[in-house]
Amino acid sequence: MKGNIVLLTVLGLFFLVASAVYTVWNVLATGTWEIVGTVGILLSAILAGFIAFFLNAVNRSQGGILLPEDRPEADIDDADPELGHFSPWSWWPLVLGFAIGLAFLGLAVGVWIAIIGIPLVVIALVGWTYEYYRGNFGH
Amino acid sequence: MSTTLVPTPVDNAATRPQTVGVTRAVKKGNIVVRWLTSTDHKIIGHLYMITSLVYFLIGGVMALLIRAQLFAPGLNVLATKEQYNQMFTMHGTIMLLLVATPLFAGLANELVPLQIGSPDVAFPRLNMLSFWLYFFGALIAVGGFFTPAGSASFGWFAYTPLSSQTFSPGIGANMWVLGLAMGGFGTILGAVNFITTIITMRAPGMTMFRMSIFTWNILVTSILVILVFPILAAALLALAADRLFHAHVYDAETGGAILWQHLFWFFGHPEVYILALPFFGVVSEIIPVFSRKPIFGYKTLVYATIAIGALSMTVWAHHMYVTGSVLLPFFALLTMLIAVPTGVKIFNWIGTVWRGSVTFEVPMMWALGFVFNFVFGGLTGIILASPPLDFHTSDSYFIVAHFHYVVVGALVFGLFGAIYFWWPKWTGKMLNDRLGQMHFWLMFIGFHTTFLIQHWLGVIGMPRRYATYLPDDGFTWMNQLSSVGSLIMAISLLPWILNIYLTARYAPKVTVDDPWGTSRSLEWATSCPPPRHNFTSIPRIRSESPAFDVNHPELAPAGYALAGASSVPTLGAGKKG
Repeated sequence: MKGNIVLLTVLGLFFLVASAVYTVWNVLATGTWEIVGTVGILLSAILAGFIAFFLNAVNRSQGGILLPEDRPEADIDDADPELGHFSPWSWWPLVLGFAIGLAFLGLAVGVWIAIIGIPLVVIALVGWTYEYYRGNFGH
Repeated sequence: MSTTLVPTPVDNAATRPQTVGVTRAVKKGNIVVRWLTSTDHKIIGHLYMITSLVYFLIGGVMALLIRAQLFAPGLNVLATKEQYNQMFTMHGTIMLLLVATPLFAGLANELVPLQIGSPDVAFPRLNMLSFWLYFFGALIAVGGFFTPAGSASFGWFAYTPLSSQTFSPGIGANMWVLGLAMGGFGTILGAVNFITTIITMRAPGMTMFRMSIFTWNILVTSILVILVFPILAAALLALAADRLFHAHVYDAETGGAILWQHLFWFFGHPEVYILALPFFGVVSEIIPVFSRKPIFGYKTLVYATIAIGALSMTVWAHHMYVTGSVLLPFFALLTMLIAVPTGVKIFNWIGTVWRGSVTFEVPMMWALGFVFNFVFGGLTGIILASPPLDFHTSDSYFIVAHFHYVVVGALVFGLFGAIYFWWPKWTGKMLNDRLGQMHFWLMFIGFHTTFLIQHWLGVIGMPRRYATYLPDDGFTWMNQLSSVGSLIMAISLLPWILNIYLTARYAPKVTVDDPWGTSRSLEWATSCPPPRHNFTSIPRIRSESPAFDVNHPELAPAGYALAGASSVPTLGAGKKG
């Protein structure tokens, strides 16, 4: 986790410096403020910094311990054997992808297709979200 | 649905490694449903690879039509000039956004969970949604061909105001804009998935600096994707708003033309590295295996990848030198700086081959071809980074030659290297070496015949995107040579397709974990193809080449064999002397 935090912090700082240099250099050389690049690199810095901040918060909430995947001498058995739930198969990605496709196609071709597509998007989202809360998995 | 969830009878575990655990009944009729509803990263990887290779062939046919049209002055291979415009627009769009970008997701899906020792990606259903967004988005984008006015015809970078409703009316162009926006969301979701997987799902002992170079490159590529694909989506949706709802985002009188170029290239330049970095990873995997040496300078390769990723965000406007309204010294300086980490990579690849005991199996041929071609493409890149030279060559065939040396010479060669190298891991059968060598040499000769001459074609002044030229322009023989070369490239795919067919039909099953004998990264420590959740047991990880350590314990790092018996893998069948 620490390596990832350092990586994203370094990227964020680089983008911050690049944005400042770009802005100042632009103003000095041309007297104008080139807004797209300035904002673009600044937002890149914020995104990288945000991920670094989040990872750091997660790392702290775990007490800052070194996880098995970060310990060079860890054995396979050292990890939690419970890896979590993996969906074995699902129809919902296909349904949701197709429905989003109809919505986008409707924008391009004719609104009536989107009117069919958007309710399907809602149905697919609900089905996806509750897939493992009902039927066999109900409780 | 729960009624279909029955345990598969494990009748012959040796020939059916996939049936470990609870799955649905394995019947031939179920295969289509199994693939359509899959959440297995390997099957999703296959879907990505197959779809993008189909688009690769479609885009290749378009390239052949373009080369046929340019074979001689005044030809009318395509009925109208508008159709020619559609051809080069869709050729570029398909090759970059529907072939090379999904190949990143495809290769990452096939390999990353195996290389870090995880059972799947972090979000399996989201992974499948990413594929379907790409799949349906791609159908919408190319579906423009089935509209009366044809598809988009404004070039793959869709400069405004040419791509506005006024100058490019028609449903085909709308479909292009929205289809690509939709596919872009798929790429973003895929990248989020890979970042999460790499950060949180590595096997114990698989520290960041023991990950394979390929996985490192996928991590950096994914970070680039989440940085720039949202910008593409925003730019395209704003263009759609202009076209459909008469918004005024890209109005020329308020600087819309330059705004689009900034936004597009702020996405577009990192996009080039999003395409290239996974294949840098591929050759970094192939070369050590066939040189029988660890990769030379592992950490410098990692740092070079990160440096390329960081710098690529700050060089976008070198595509905009000729607009006359960008900060030339800033972009020239940073663009030339990128040559440093790229040169480090070339140095490391050569350093790996240096004094190794090299054998020239097909994957190694492709990897060496990659390095050779990429040096060419990289060198012309440095030429183009210099504004005074760029002013003269911009929008000429010199540019076309430059980026084809990168995207064909490097990426396509890397792609075929990956296909030949990992084919046994994906399908359980080895591709034929002799047909592979034929494929390589035909492609290599065809490639250089097609694109080397285009440098000189550009220097004597042939502009890109022109549908024809005059006999007294003096372009004729160079264009003919180039067209003949493109035909050789097309023919070179025949041995490959034949190879795939013959291998599927006649080749014996691979029964060992590591058919190459000296493979290094973790995917070679599981069966070919791997079981549903990848590993029946994972070997101890003590270096960046865990599979090599387990297959050649005498060469493993000190202390490797000392560890307890509990995690020594049951790799009896996988041992190779």
